[in-house]
Amino acid sequence: MSVFTLSQAAKEEVLLKELAGLTAHHRANCEPYDRILSASGFTEAASIADLPWLPVRLFKTLELKSIPDDEVFKTLTSSGTTGDVSRIYLDKAAAAEQQRRLAATVQTVLGPKRLPMILVDTRAMLKDRTSFSARGAGVLGMSTFGRDHVWALDMEGEVDLTALRGFLEKHGDRPFLIFGFTFLVWLHLYEVALRHGLDLSNGILIHSGGWKKLIDQAVSPDEFRARLASVGLTKVHNYYGMVEQIGTIFLEGPSGGSLYCPDFADVVVRDPQTWAELPPGKPGLLEVISTLPTSYPGHVLLTEDLGVVHGIDDGDWPGKRFSVLGRLPRAEARGCSDTYREAA
Amino acid sequence: MIFRFGADGDLTAPSDDRLSVGDPRVVDFLAALARKLLAPAVARRHPELGSLGYFLRPAELNRAVEKMRRDDALVFPRGNVFHLPPANVDTIFVYSWAISALAGNHNVVRISSRSAGAAEVILDAMNAVKADPVIGRTQRMVTYGRDDAVTASLSKWCDLRVVWGGDAAVDAIRKHPLRPSARDLTFPDRTSWAVLSVPGWRAADPAARRTAVVGFANDAYWFDQAACSSPRTVFLVGGRAGDADGVRTEFLDLLLDVVDQRGWTVDAAMAVEKRVNAYGLAATGAARTLDFPDNRITAVTLAGPGTAPRRWIGAGAFPFAEVPSLRDLVPAMNRQDQTVSHFGFTPAELRDFATELGGRGVDRIVPFGSALTFGALWDGYDLPAEFTRLTTLQM
Repeated sequence: MSVFTLSQAAKEEVLLKELAGLTAHHRANCEPYDRILSASGFTEAASIADLPWLPVRLFKTLELKSIPDDEVFKTLTSSGTTGDVSRIYLDKAAAAEQQRRLAATVQTVLGPKRLPMILVDTRAMLKDRTSFSARGAGVLGMSTFGRDHVWALDMEGEVDLTALRGFLEKHGDRPFLIFGFTFLVWLHLYEVALRHGLDLSNGILIHSGGWKKLIDQAVSPDEFRARLASVGLTKVHNYYGMVEQIGTIFLEGPSGGSLYCPDFADVVVRDPQTWAELPPGKPGLLEVISTLPTSYPGHVLLTEDLGVVHGIDDGDWPGKRFSVLGRLPRAEARGCSDTYREAA
Repeated sequence: MIFRFGADGDLTAPSDDRLSVGDPRVVDFLAALARKLLAPAVARRHPELGSLGYFLRPAELNRAVEKMRRDDALVFPRGNVFHLPPANVDTIFVYSWAISALAGNHNVVRISSRSAGAAEVILDAMNAVKADPVIGRTQRMVTYGRDDAVTASLSKWCDLRVVWGGDAAVDAIRKHPLRPSARDLTFPDRTSWAVLSVPGWRAADPAARRTAVVGFANDAYWFDQAACSSPRTVFLVGGRAGDADGVRTEFLDLLLDVVDQRGWTVDAAMAVEKRVNAYGLAATGAARTLDFPDNRITAVTLAGPGTAPRRWIGAGAFPFAEVPSLRDLVPAMNRQDQTVSHFGFTPAELRDFATELGGRGVDRIVPFGSALTFGALWDGYDLPAEFTRLTTLQM
């Protein structure tokens, strides 16, 4: 079973109808959203790229939801670098649907059964209230797709070699799931597996969290993949997603190098000067599109990440395949006022 | 602690040096600095240093000193002055320091470690002037990190503390007590506006309109519209129904043309910042329409003068609102408002506006192009008076 089935043309036909419907739904149920669209003169979209996008940071500055207060079942928050957080409101239906779609997406590479699972993280992190929302939610969310979990790191953040060896003895001869943040996988799992000859050849790795720290260490995505293959780990899937589009992840295909959009999602790369859609090969700002946000107007979001589409209907799976290239630096103003907090 | 200018050593040690109000050694130093800043090579690279150089010319300095003199009292330096200027408007620290130095004070200026560009050029120029040694002993510019102990001891040392940088900065600095006899001169968050007379614009010839827009563009774009005096919302004043729309279109077309000619750009991050803020105005109902013709210009139609934002929207973001007359703008102004730049009004209209405001808001009413021109009267203060003390003498 896969959620990566639709060619780009087929997908756009299906999605445009659904997304136009969602736009109308949110306009009718979220007054601030309707005001933004009215003020910008939006009437209707003839293509996916015509759909009105919201800057993702808007969820940090505004309360945007399309459900009444008494139907809010879950409020998700993202941690922000500047202290401001996104607030995402889900009703019961949206919460269930996002979990179901996320499961369907990862089951494309894991199969339908829950696999034994290594979490490349420390249980101590769950106790740290300040970092919980981002890292903890990711780990806990993904842990539901596995069973017989083992933490790769002990409470002090050191590699727990005994636990890893025990896990591999018990489960290592059949497919198992490994999940963690890209940098932790590199720093702890890869190096330990190499040094101690751990056999990870039945593992399926799902990892996320950005490449910045690895690029700083001069490790490219290609090299990451090649080095993991050298310890037997060949089934490796990076993914890209954000709390503002919870349930939607863009997953790396089996042969690596590109992220793919599930059938209910898409991406558009925009020229940051003209805001027009860019063709494959041209890097720009990444817009993420998903039909999952039904309880808040987050179905078309302009991220602050730079990306590039590599190709359309020419990879492991149909549709667009793309990469995330890094973050747009935050705008900083000159000025008299917001200046020297440092003096205090 | 890095000494950027002046003699290395204990900043708060007692000093035997005495400067007078309008001390010739200070005047000579500032005049030499002005010559360096007005050098063509410098002025080309940093046009804002040109106006600073002009401000420091001997004729201007002598005029300022003359104004410090009084018939009814002897005028002396206030004493020790501790300046905390903003990091990002590179020239402000020179203006406030120069007037204080001219008044004969011993000054310590904290230069932000984030200062760059023009600030570095100024410091280099200061260090290149052959000055009387007393200048380096009494005028010191330092950079230090997040060090409360230094800020605290300088706060105890000074007779006047000059705090720029917004409400949060003022509150934070005020946690450090002053001597009982000392006080603060504060420059908190401010907002500035532009007012454009619709009939005045229509009456002006194309050359006059263009000059006005060039001046407005400098005011708005030089500091990314984030200086306290940078105009943000433009109020279109007067005219018959429908006139304002046409004037706004002409104004924006000319503005884009000027911005184009200057080669000014607005990067992607700033463009996104503007979208976030403009969408925020629309979402709350403060704005009725948003136009994004180009990253360099964002035009916002406000629901009315009362919803004009006092928050920064981004570089090249212009909310517009219409009012029948300047008097109708008065209720929307408050203490936070600093500069109103104007075009197309009669002197009588402007005087009436100022009188109606009655000091309850707006400290400066200046023509387009002069919003950023610093003066000895600033934020409602007479700075030379603030930097001096008076002795009465009755025989």
